[in-house]
Amino acid sequence: MSGDGPLLRVTGLEAAYGRARVLFGVDVEVGAGRLVCVMGRNGVGKTTLLNAVMGVLPPTGGTVVFDGEDVTRLPTHERVRRGMGYVPQGHETFPQLTVADNLRVTLEATRHRDAAAIDEALEVFPRLKQFLGRRAGFLSGGQQQQLAMARALVTRPRLLILDEPTEGIQPSIVAEIEEAIERLHRERGLAVLLVEQYLELAERLADSFVIIEAGVVRRAGGADDLRDDEVKRLLAV
Amino acid sequence: MESLLNQLPVGLSIGAVLLLIALGLTFTFGQMGVINMAHGEFIMAGSYTAYMLQDWAGGEAVIVALPVAFAVAGALGWVLERAAIRHFYGRPLDTLLLTWGVSLVLQQAARDLFGAPNVQVVAPSWLTGRIELLGGNLPYARLFIMALAAACVVGIWAYMDRSRQGRRMRAVMQNRELAAVSGVATGRVDQLTFFIGSGLAGVAGVALTLIGPVGPSIGTYYIVDAFLVVVAGGLGQLRGAVIAAVALGMLNSYAEFWTDASLAKVIVFAVIVGFLQFRPQGLFVLRSRALT
Repeated sequence: MSGDGPLLRVTGLEAAYGRARVLFGVDVEVGAGRLVCVMGRNGVGKTTLLNAVMGVLPPTGGTVVFDGEDVTRLPTHERVRRGMGYVPQGHETFPQLTVADNLRVTLEATRHRDAAAIDEALEVFPRLKQFLGRRAGFLSGGQQQQLAMARALVTRPRLLILDEPTEGIQPSIVAEIEEAIERLHRERGLAVLLVEQYLELAERLADSFVIIEAGVVRRAGGADDLRDDEVKRLLAV
Repeated sequence: MESLLNQLPVGLSIGAVLLLIALGLTFTFGQMGVINMAHGEFIMAGSYTAYMLQDWAGGEAVIVALPVAFAVAGALGWVLERAAIRHFYGRPLDTLLLTWGVSLVLQQAARDLFGAPNVQVVAPSWLTGRIELLGGNLPYARLFIMALAAACVVGIWAYMDRSRQGRRMRAVMQNRELAAVSGVATGRVDQLTFFIGSGLAGVAGVALTLIGPVGPSIGTYYIVDAFLVVVAGGLGQLRGAVIAAVALGMLNSYAEFWTDASLAKVIVFAVIVGFLQFRPQGLFVLRSRALT
């Protein structure tokens, strides 16, 4: 790890879809081994923030520094290769590839190319082992989300970026996914930037949080501050 | 009955050529959403490659030209993607205009280089015979084209299904954004896809020299039909392209046999329009979570 700064430092990030500006200078920091929760109501720019951090949507202003290196202008795949693992919203997979090929195509794009990374990822989500030969499009939403997370783990990220990982997932699998996040964070010390709508999960896992409203950070603080009434007001629908 | 039978190899070989052309289009159209009007001129580049090689390779020019034309047309496609098309991703109408302009420039370049009149490529002597079968004629040249297309389909299938690079191509086709966040350098995959797709058009161009004369506008004659194959077969689908190409080739040749060339075109278009009313997504669908 280079330098003493945080693993991820986002400063004054701005992003827009065409002329519609969505982010107006967002600051977020994730220290090594920390779990930071990004919260806010629907449509405030949480997903846009993650897409801008990953370069999926090139930011119009501000900087993204990962492990001491300015990655703001790097293409998405270069950020992934530097250790930023991203699981986008909506349990995305390559639907016509088998579960094994979903993981393989990711492994072959990594720097380490170590096939053991696939076994490690499957240890986190053992349920996937029985589906290795099946096409990803045939899995249930919850299984697809586990595959999506396993896919990100294959890259051996130092920072895992998750966008509402339990949204729209059947309850039986939600617990497995939450448990996996908790284990990765607590036992392996993986840093996590988590977008989450629900206070309950955030209270349990987060070291710190930011609340976004209308494209700016309205509130930031440590886990204890989450019990604040002001926080409840910002998140109430 | 006899002449009806003779139309069979005609239709099948036209279908085979259409398939070679459409394979390339289905990749560039399916993976990148690019409507490449200059694809027809990569066919022409392939044909003229065979013509040029005659001085050197004589009667075997067609055979020698197959790999050379693949490389020449592939390189043209690669340059077009790098120099122009990549700046227009996500803007289909601009891409259409751009590639149409490139197509006109390439046609004029061919006129300047080789002259406006058609030229002839002499087929290898061992391809000039024919088999008598059930009272019909099966020219070797047409059989060769069918075998060539079949070999290309098998090759492409093996590449897509068995190789690492092929797996990467399928991943980008199915979910470009996810491929990028999985660490895949999508831009590099696009370059290779464009090279292979354009190269196949070059191979089709060589095959066409066995059927008839070669002219600067040979590509425009086939490009529309090839797009019809892509649309009717379903984007990015090998299986759909094969079925649609053979069906369209047969329909073309029999419609032309029973009526005339222009009425045949009307019939073909009418059938395609009718078909798309019932299956607007084509024979097979790639871009869906539900699977075919």
